[in-house]
Amino acid sequence: MKTLAFCALALGLTAGTAGATELTVATAGDQNMVDYINQYLAPIFEQQNPGDTVRAVGTGPGDAGSQKILERFQAQADAGVTSWDTDVAVVHQKFAGPMAEKGYLAKFRDDIATGKLVSSDMAKNALGTNVDGYVMPMFNSQTAIAYNPDLVKNPPTTYAELADWAAKHPKAFGYNGIKGGMSGVSFVMGWVYAFAGDGDKLQQGPFDPAEAAKWDDAFAKLKAFTANTTLTPGNAGTLDMLARGEIAMGPVWVDMFYTWEAGGQLPPNLKLVLPAPGMPGQPMYYVIPKDAAHKALAEKFVALATSPEVQAQGIVKKFNWYPGIDAQYVKANLSPEDWSKLFTDIGPDDLATKAKAFPITPYNNAILEAYERQVQ
Amino acid sequence: MSSVSNPAPSARLVGFLLVLPALAVIVGLFLMPLAISVIGAFRTPDGWGLANFTKSADLYSIDVLYTVGVIGLSTLLIGLLSIAIGGYLTLGENPRAVALLRWLYRWPLFIPFIVVGQMMRTFLAKNGLMNNVLVAAGLMAPLDTVSFLDWRGIVISFVWKQTPLVALLVAGAMASLDRGTIEAARNLGAGRLRILVEIVVPQVMPTLLVGLTLSFVTMMSVLSVPLMVASQSPTVITADIAFRINAYADYGVANALGVISLVITGGVAWFYLRHTMRERL
Repeated sequence: MKTLAFCALALGLTAGTAGATELTVATAGDQNMVDYINQYLAPIFEQQNPGDTVRAVGTGPGDAGSQKILERFQAQADAGVTSWDTDVAVVHQKFAGPMAEKGYLAKFRDDIATGKLVSSDMAKNALGTNVDGYVMPMFNSQTAIAYNPDLVKNPPTTYAELADWAAKHPKAFGYNGIKGGMSGVSFVMGWVYAFAGDGDKLQQGPFDPAEAAKWDDAFAKLKAFTANTTLTPGNAGTLDMLARGEIAMGPVWVDMFYTWEAGGQLPPNLKLVLPAPGMPGQPMYYVIPKDAAHKALAEKFVALATSPEVQAQGIVKKFNWYPGIDAQYVKANLSPEDWSKLFTDIGPDDLATKAKAFPITPYNNAILEAYERQVQ
Repeated sequence: MSSVSNPAPSARLVGFLLVLPALAVIVGLFLMPLAISVIGAFRTPDGWGLANFTKSADLYSIDVLYTVGVIGLSTLLIGLLSIAIGGYLTLGENPRAVALLRWLYRWPLFIPFIVVGQMMRTFLAKNGLMNNVLVAAGLMAPLDTVSFLDWRGIVISFVWKQTPLVALLVAGAMASLDRGTIEAARNLGAGRLRILVEIVVPQVMPTLLVGLTLSFVTMMSVLSVPLMVASQSPTVITADIAFRINAYADYGVANALGVISLVITGGVAWFYLRHTMRERL
């Protein structure tokens, strides 16, 4: 009996190494991230690697999801585990820095073919931390102001115009504060870039605590502005209120906006505008833990996910994100109509000048706390 | 021998072993994390101290008051509504209405908080279902509609969800009262409202307080409803705790806020215990 059990065990072990690997992909973000991996990427990967399967684990929306992945890595590092339970993770920009700094990540970008297709600075620097080699951008997402052209004939093109508009139209502008999702946070960061001077310093560093003193005036203005706005419950809450006509304008994620519009959850006449000096966006990154159990296969997975075909068909066409690799490689794989759809309201020139990064982490936290102190 | 009252050492060991798994679960999964959180509230980057509490007071004192206000008001309304429901079930004279109410009032018990939040989010919005119905019925002009997605939305969701639990307890207690006291009052000419306030409610007060204490503590821990209905400022403590962790990875202040809400619920529990002890003496 015992021998039989050992035989079965041995058989199981050899079968395990012969193929049939289960690749675990942990992803932060909304359900659409899990759907993207399960419904789009996994079938292609499994077809190319017969016998292997992909298991996607969603860790929850927003920063909380990435925070969970970071804590999972931390726990395994502290416990001295040599073979980690995550092979690939998809995390927000803010968390890539701490992960790389603490030595949780493998340096893999130069090992995969698609590593050379990346041109964005975001692949090297994540909110002030050097992550060169440790991350592959999955996509870029951008925030913008959505508005209803029936109610707003001439949308404001700068933050200053927007502030005037909101003063004249009380409660017609809606945003979700800073505790209800990142589109509100992004709007606040754009406000600080617009009214508190040195946006470049906030985005590139170095951190100087004295800088915070310069924000008081901007926050006083924001407090007066917020009193004239409607506060919405979350990123989706802003879109819901736009759809029901309760507000005429509000900050949204561009990809969410297009996805909702395509799904009929938003009236088709709504439009987007990116006010000067700009609003922040952020990439999501693929990372591979240093002690991933199936590292070679994980690299294969990321290479597939960042190949021009997948970036074109999956990231741009299916999910309305901006590509993570250099756009010139992606454009060739899309029809001109599909490509231009991405730039319907916000053209490439606008993106080049007004798509900003979030402030580096210490400034980011200082601005959020100043908002809690001075605006709420 | 004392073996009659005191079991033999081996039997005692067996008894201990039997409770050990349960004890280990309580210590390992409840007491340990609680202790770590409480200790963590006093740990700051510069060593031990009260900095986390100073910061909580500085940034969130309004939110703490708001939490107590919103949940206190909800508790009060839950108490009034459950007395009304329990009272009608006990004293109601129309058997059909009583049966209908008995069938209806328990439904929200089986609906999770997150679903309540999701329902209320669209129901209470400015152009949501509630206002649309009022407008369509001609009771309201479209321009007069207001959104209830603020503290009122939280109170409505909490009251809607928690009233059935308290009403269930209170109605049970009312049903088991000695009907003689009610009949006696009725014979002497007391109206139903007077019987409810002067005869029935004083007798079920301990049960009512248990129900309200449980509801208060439950509502203090709900994150989903405020996030779905009104996550803007001011907001409840749970939303602030989540924000501290997710936006700043700051467990220190989050733990301090947790200790503050523990003190509030502890205060309610103390008040309840003192009240019931006095009643028993």
